[in-house]
Amino acid sequence: MASAPSKLYADDVSLLVVLLDTNPFFWSSSPLPFSKFISHVLAFLNTTLRLHQLNQVVVIATGYNCCDYIYDSSSATNQSSGTGMMPAFCSNLLEKLDKFVTRDEQLEKGGQEGGIASSLLSGSLSMALCYIQRIFRSGPLHPHPRILCLHGSPDGPEQYVAIMNAIFSAQRSMVPIDSCYIGAQNSAFLQQASYITGGVYLKPQILDGLFQYLSTVYATDLHSRGSLQLPKSVGVDFRASCFCHKRTIDMGYICSVCLSIFCMHHKKCSTCGSVFGQAQSDVASTSNKRKTPDT
Amino acid sequence: MPQVRIIARNFMDMVAALPAMKLDHLYQNAFICEAILRSLPPLAKKYVIQMCYIEETIPSKSLEEWVLPDGLSKHRVAIDRLLQLRIFSESFDRSTGTSYRLNPTFQENLQKLITYGAVLPREPMPSSVTARLPSLQELENYAMQKWECFLLQLINSAQAEKMTNISPSMMRIFQRGLLTQRDKEAPRLTESGFQFLLMDTNAQLWYIIREYISNSEEIGVDPADLISFMLELSFHETGQAYNMNTLDEIQRSTIKDLADLGLVKLQQGRKESWFIPTKLATNLSVSLTDSSSRKEGYVMVETNFRLYAYSTSKLHSEILRLFSRVEYQLPNLLVGAITKESLYNAFENGITSEQIISFLQQNAHPRIAERTPSVPENVMDQIRLWETDLNRIEMTPAHFYDEFPSRDVFEAACDFARESGGLLWEDSKKMRLVVNTEVHLQMREHLRRQK
Amino acid sequence: MNNGDGKRLNGEAEEEDEDDLDGEGREAWERTYTDERSWESLQEDESGLLCPVDDKILHHAQYRRRLRSLSSTTTASRIQKGLIRYLYIVIDLSKAAAEMDFKPSRMAVVAKHVEAFVREFFDQNPLSQISLVTIKDGVAHCLTDLGGSPESHVKALMGKLESSGDSSLQNALDLVHGYLTQIPSYGHREVLILYSALSTCDPGDIMHTIQKCKNAKIRCSVIGLSAEIFICKHICQETGGLYSIALDESHFKELILEHAPPPPAIAEFAIASLIKMGFPQRAAENVISICVCHKEAKGGGYTCPRCKARVCELPAECRICGLTLVSSPHLARSYHHLFPIMPFEDVAPTQHKLPKTCFGCQQSLLSSGSRTTLSVTCPKCRRCFCFDCDIYIHESLHNCPGCESLRHSKSVNTAEA
Repeated sequence: MASAPSKLYADDVSLLVVLLDTNPFFWSSSPLPFSKFISHVLAFLNTTLRLHQLNQVVVIATGYNCCDYIYDSSSATNQSSGTGMMPAFCSNLLEKLDKFVTRDEQLEKGGQEGGIASSLLSGSLSMALCYIQRIFRSGPLHPHPRILCLHGSPDGPEQYVAIMNAIFSAQRSMVPIDSCYIGAQNSAFLQQASYITGGVYLKPQILDGLFQYLSTVYATDLHSRGSLQLPKSVGVDFRASCFCHKRTIDMGYICSVCLSIFCMHHKKCSTCGSVFGQAQSDVASTSNKRKTPDT
Repeated sequence: MPQVRIIARNFMDMVAALPAMKLDHLYQNAFICEAILRSLPPLAKKYVIQMCYIEETIPSKSLEEWVLPDGLSKHRVAIDRLLQLRIFSESFDRSTGTSYRLNPTFQENLQKLITYGAVLPREPMPSSVTARLPSLQELENYAMQKWECFLLQLINSAQAEKMTNISPSMMRIFQRGLLTQRDKEAPRLTESGFQFLLMDTNAQLWYIIREYISNSEEIGVDPADLISFMLELSFHETGQAYNMNTLDEIQRSTIKDLADLGLVKLQQGRKESWFIPTKLATNLSVSLTDSSSRKEGYVMVETNFRLYAYSTSKLHSEILRLFSRVEYQLPNLLVGAITKESLYNAFENGITSEQIISFLQQNAHPRIAERTPSVPENVMDQIRLWETDLNRIEMTPAHFYDEFPSRDVFEAACDFARESGGLLWEDSKKMRLVVNTEVHLQMREHLRRQK
Repeated sequence: MNNGDGKRLNGEAEEEDEDDLDGEGREAWERTYTDERSWESLQEDESGLLCPVDDKILHHAQYRRRLRSLSSTTTASRIQKGLIRYLYIVIDLSKAAAEMDFKPSRMAVVAKHVEAFVREFFDQNPLSQISLVTIKDGVAHCLTDLGGSPESHVKALMGKLESSGDSSLQNALDLVHGYLTQIPSYGHREVLILYSALSTCDPGDIMHTIQKCKNAKIRCSVIGLSAEIFICKHICQETGGLYSIALDESHFKELILEHAPPPPAIAEFAIASLIKMGFPQRAAENVISICVCHKEAKGGGYTCPRCKARVCELPAECRICGLTLVSSPHLARSYHHLFPIMPFEDVAPTQHKLPKTCFGCQQSLLSSGSRTTLSVTCPKCRRCFCFDCDIYIHESLHNCPGCESLRHSKSVNTAEA
């Protein structure tokens, strides 16, 4: 599936898909105001576009209720000139972003439980991968794609399976997922995503210097990463969350039929409906087989 | 193996060759900063971006800390390039060692570029004035046609159907180095002329531009101004019309010449006239590494050394004739064969096997280009083998010594020659040896001392 | 088209040597054309000009049919799949494996695709194990023991590619039976035989062995490379496996890869049970500790949650306390089997205003002058997708971008699951 990088295309041409967290519940409580954050990001995007005339940037907004594309440098017209106040593409992007946030708000139905709600990372990640597949299909000459998650909201346990699916698909097509986490606690999802796909996970210490983090670490194209030492992971949280209580556990029980994870011993698997024999894995006896006709 | 290369294939080498004063002057233009930034090696780009907002000097050690052992050579290349272009200035301190700082003018312009974007000195003209502009496709065809016409005229003025408006004197300047003419004979392509034809369009373009600029220099135009104008031109948008009034005198005469090369299209309205940059112009600032301008290929090579070229262009057939035997030609198809004779012909003209192979690969027909390898392996190997056939004998000027008085003297002489790296052959039984000419003088000296 | 004129031109070359073996006598460059059958992908348009067949729609329709038939079998009942599998791959390396009807030989083709299969297998069945067995000179020989590392299997196989003698199904089954009866009861016991020979040379009664396998709940499948053989069919029927015959190389690849996704769990075959497992955390690179597997001090690695010993690789069994250690991503690799996404539906061409671009990749959905629609829609979220995204979503991603990017449809999704 992953087509071999072509030598004819320059090594350092990249397609950067940025997933922008616009979750209002997060930004209202963030120490870094959203407007400041956006200005850092815009400067970074502009830098990326300036680095190579074939570089491409796609921005996908990750909202609370929906996700959407808000900018694609390949389809945007009027790239070269600016108004003098800011690069031309920015006004375009900001307008789309504004519309998106309003729409996201309209979809809100209330009923948010305590704490900061998660945003729909699984959706934007899936969209980004679809887009990248299209680039792969476009022929032997394509830029080297990578995904950058600029995320702040906490993980949503209900997205676990979907996010994992997306991560594995990215791994299979050799697309690294970089993540820059702006929230308070480390995100286990993004840590795993970056670890599995060979991207960089970083939690900036000083948010005011976000641009410096972005330009120093995330502006590095995939080709140069081969000769540079980028920040290494400080441990990855590989613990699973159980299916029954969504608790994070470091030891648990696995259903041998469907591999569902449980934090305690059950009689019957809630996912696949198998009725369990003995809990001990090492006791093997063929005599006490059980049928599961009840499904 | 003689490896004659036409250098200065892009503007970077030209810029790097400018004197320091001129360079600093150039960096005052934001577009040049951007063009330079684009063309840096990947690692150098990263360093520049990383240091864009740092106004102090950075010790080289802290930069090196980022580099993996495998990347050290690339790191060196990047730093050298940055120093050469005076983007980095080097300073030395005893306690911290070497440290670098970004060129302040460059840095300032880069910061502006990142936050505000760059503004072209001229706006595209409104469509109310320009009526109908050519579509992008038309424009590209126009540019390619112009360029091919120019090339054909360049290599063989008799072949070209339509003459370009380029003055014969200018043409002769371009032809300088590419063609040789003995009296009363038809001009012949030189070694570099053949190589020129096998280069991709962008490299050819820069070769011509370089000649053009060095020629203008002779008539008193500042090359830095021309370079900066060309680079600025490359940031104009393809297919938009720009008013000629915004140009000064020199630029206007330049743009007329560029129109002949197909870089811009000139149009005349009722009152005003304007120019429309084509793909060729906007590709001017494209760096060397991505020389493939996504051109559709047309050549197919089969494992039986037959070659099919789907092309109507005369230029293509001329190029293919350089190294293959054309068997028949249909309106849109040319069938040829790569033979030993045709290749020997090419090698004699100074074309190398690698150039031929890379030409075949770069111009492979889309259906063939999907495969790997796009040129069959046996054909590639055979082309290389035929070339090495020609290079079986290597000539080295040398000196022959014999009749040594004793074995000791002979062995001392051998050791001496070996140490100075000039020993080519020795026969210890008969006490004879051959040394490189370069060592001959030292050797003589050495032998004299022995006496 | 190209053949005739190519032959004439090459007349002087000695080409008549082995023309009688059909296809063999052709020049290498001619063969590339015959193999591709490039003329079959041409058709005439209204004015009689040749143009390439637009097989995209056709291809996609076939794909959809397959997808639908697959999903109808799985969604009928709640999904129970045998996810912990113990698979023995039996490779026939008798004389027949050296036959050249597959290029370059049956054996080489089998080895090539077994390699791809092994990788795909571990990708889809993370906690399963494979072992390779070869039959040569009438004797079955275990090439690799049951293990979870694709590299070691592939390496062992590539070093042992020689063929000789007869093949014996009974010996192979006996050997495998001996090993498979020792594995834990929750595991699925499977044998996949890649059979080249047209006969089997057995020391005893093979029917007896088949009964033994049946009693031990070993599912035997056979992929034949020559013709259908009764005894193979009988084995598969008796033990509930699949029997198929490969027509050519690509068909063989398809057949072997069909065995990669976990088979539906037939409750009789394995006993469901809960297995206790640990999920170790990965230590930071700069924390040095001695691992129990290599006895070396290094950074990184995983710490057993029960006894705090350090292991280098996952999945593994803790050497100290015997706890099975896995990382949650290992398990998550197979979850898409549990929560499959519905096949997308065709969009009726008359349907009110269609979106212009694919929701997934933003590709334009408006085709120029085509009668059939180029888009499909997700039955849940009603977003439209292009064919390419449809295939990618179902084959690799296993997420519907539309459903994932809507909060309310999402809650429906998980509630159902």
